[in-house]
Amino acid sequence: MVRFEAVSFGYEGKQTIYDVTFQINQGDFAAIIGANGAGKTTISKLTNGILKPTSGRVLVKGKDTKTTKTSELARTIGFLFQNPDRQICQTTIRDEIMFGLKCVLKDNHEIEERINQTLETFGFDGSRDPFSMSRGERQRIALASVLATRPEILVLDEPTTGLDYRECMQIMELVQELNRQGTTVMMVTHDMELVNDFASRVLVVGGGRLLADGDKTSVFRNAEVLKAASLMPPQISALAQRLGEPFEGIHHVDEMADRIQCLKEGASL
Amino acid sequence: MSKAMVQTKELCFKYKDGKEFALENIGLTIEKGELVGIIGSSGAGKTSLLYTMNGVIPHHYRGDFYGEVLVDGLDTVDNTMDRISRLSGSVFQDIDGQMVATLVEDEILFGLENYGIPRDEIESRVNEALEKVGITHLRYRTISSLSGGEKQKVALCAILALKPQMLLLDEPTAELDPQSSQQIFRILKELNEKEGLTVVIVEQKIMLLSEFVKRLIVMEKGKILFDDEVREVLKHSQALYEAGVNCPRVVSLSNALTQRGLYKGPAPIHLDEAETMVKEILHGKI
Repeated sequence: MVRFEAVSFGYEGKQTIYDVTFQINQGDFAAIIGANGAGKTTISKLTNGILKPTSGRVLVKGKDTKTTKTSELARTIGFLFQNPDRQICQTTIRDEIMFGLKCVLKDNHEIEERINQTLETFGFDGSRDPFSMSRGERQRIALASVLATRPEILVLDEPTTGLDYRECMQIMELVQELNRQGTTVMMVTHDMELVNDFASRVLVVGGGRLLADGDKTSVFRNAEVLKAASLMPPQISALAQRLGEPFEGIHHVDEMADRIQCLKEGASL
Repeated sequence: MSKAMVQTKELCFKYKDGKEFALENIGLTIEKGELVGIIGSSGAGKTSLLYTMNGVIPHHYRGDFYGEVLVDGLDTVDNTMDRISRLSGSVFQDIDGQMVATLVEDEILFGLENYGIPRDEIESRVNEALEKVGITHLRYRTISSLSGGEKQKVALCAILALKPQMLLLDEPTAELDPQSSQQIFRILKELNEKEGLTVVIVEQKIMLLSEFVKRLIVMEKGKILFDDEVREVLKHSQALYEAGVNCPRVVSLSNALTQRGLYKGPAPIHLDEAETMVKEILHGKI
C-alpha cells in the first residue's frame, strides 16, 4: 500500500531523513516509533504527499507522490494530525465532516448521507461547535472527519496526545476495528504501551534513519536499537525479558499471569 | 505553627457558563515541601483545582465559588491574583502557548522585569535558575530552535527565577517523548528534595507519577476519589479504571495474580519490584 524506496528528505539545506526504505502492506497495523525530533512526523507527511522526498520515491498504491496530486492521494490516505485544533476549521461538527467529504465526493446527496452515518457512528450532535468541546472530543471529531472519507490507509500522528486513558481507548478501539475490516494503519507515536496494545508491526526511527523494522517481540528485545532511539520497551515486555526464556514473546498482562500460573502449578507449557 | 502550603475547605466551584460544579466539596491540605501528583480523566476537575491554587479561579475565571482556599495562609478570594501567583508558579501543557519571547534569556527576564526585581539582582537570579534546570548552555539560543523538552525546561526556568514557594504543573510532559518526560520529572524531584519546593503536578502518565511522587490524588467528576500514598491508591485498579485512569502494567499484573490467589504482597510499582515478585511466586521453578 505504501512503499518508501531509498527516501531522503531535507529542507533549508538540512537533511532530516536518510535513505529510508520500507513497505507497508494492506491490512498492516504499523507503529512508527522514536523520540521527539527523530523524523517520525516527517515520514508520516511524506506518505500523503504533504512533503515530497528530495531523493528516492514514495509510492502509494503504486502512485508516485511526486507526480500525483495531494488531493488525489487524499482519496486513498486519511491523515489525523496530533493536534485536532490544527485540523478542525469549521464551527459545527456537521460542517467539519462535510469539509473533507467535499474534497473527495461530488454528489451532494451522497455527502449528506455520509455525514449522517458518521454522526451516528460517533454519536455526535452535528450542530455543536467543536471548540466548545474537550480536547478528547475534538480529537474524535477530527478522526470522524477523516474516516467519513473512508480512506484505505489511515495515518495517525500521535493520536492520543493530551487525551486521558478512556478517550485514548475510545479512539484506538475504533481504529482497531477499522483495521480488522481491512484498513491499513500507520501510527506515529512514542507511547510504547499503545504500540504494544495495538500494533502488529513496529518501525523504529532515530536520527532520521530507519533503525529497525519487525514484529513486536524482535523490536522490543532489541535493547541496542531502543536505546539508540531513546525508547524503553513496554513494562510487561521488559519484565518478560528480565525473567528469561520461559517468558519469551510475552507482551501482555493476561499472558504473563497465565504463564506464571502454568509454571507455578508445574503444568507443562 | 507553620502554615500549610495549600488548604482548601469545602471548596466548590462552578464556571460562569457551566451547568455542573467543576469542583465539589474539596477538602485538601498540601504541606510545605510535598511532591503531589493529581490524575483523573478529562473534565474531572484537575486543572480547575490547580487554578484555585494560583488564583486564576476566582480572579480570572469567574463563577460560583464556595468554601475557602488558603495559599500559605492567604485567602485566595481576599488577595489579588498577583499576590497569590507570586507564591505559586505555574507551567502548562501547551509548550508554545506559554512562551512570550524569541530568546531564552528574554523569556526568563520577562517575568523578572514584570515583577519589578531590582536590576542588580536579576543577573544572579537568571544564572541560578538556569543552573537549577541545567540549561545554562541554552541561554542565548532562540526558543524556536529548541526541542519540546528544552522548551519546557525554559518554561520551568522562567518560573523558578521568580522564586515561588510552590510549583503548579499542568500536564507538563503531554507533548514530550519518554526520555524528556523523565528528565522533567527528575528535575522536579530534585527541586523538591534539595530546595524544599512544594510541587503539585497534574499528569496523565501514571508510570511517571508512580515512579516519582509519594502522594497521589485521583479526581473524578469534580471530587477527590483517592488521596493517599501512590502504592495504596494503585491497589484500587478497578475503581481507577472506572474513573478513566489506568495502572502501570506491573500493577495490573500483580492485581491479576492476587485475584488468582497466587500473590498476597504489596503491588510492585517498578520493574525491579515486579521481577522480585514473580521470582518469589515461582521460587525454584524458573
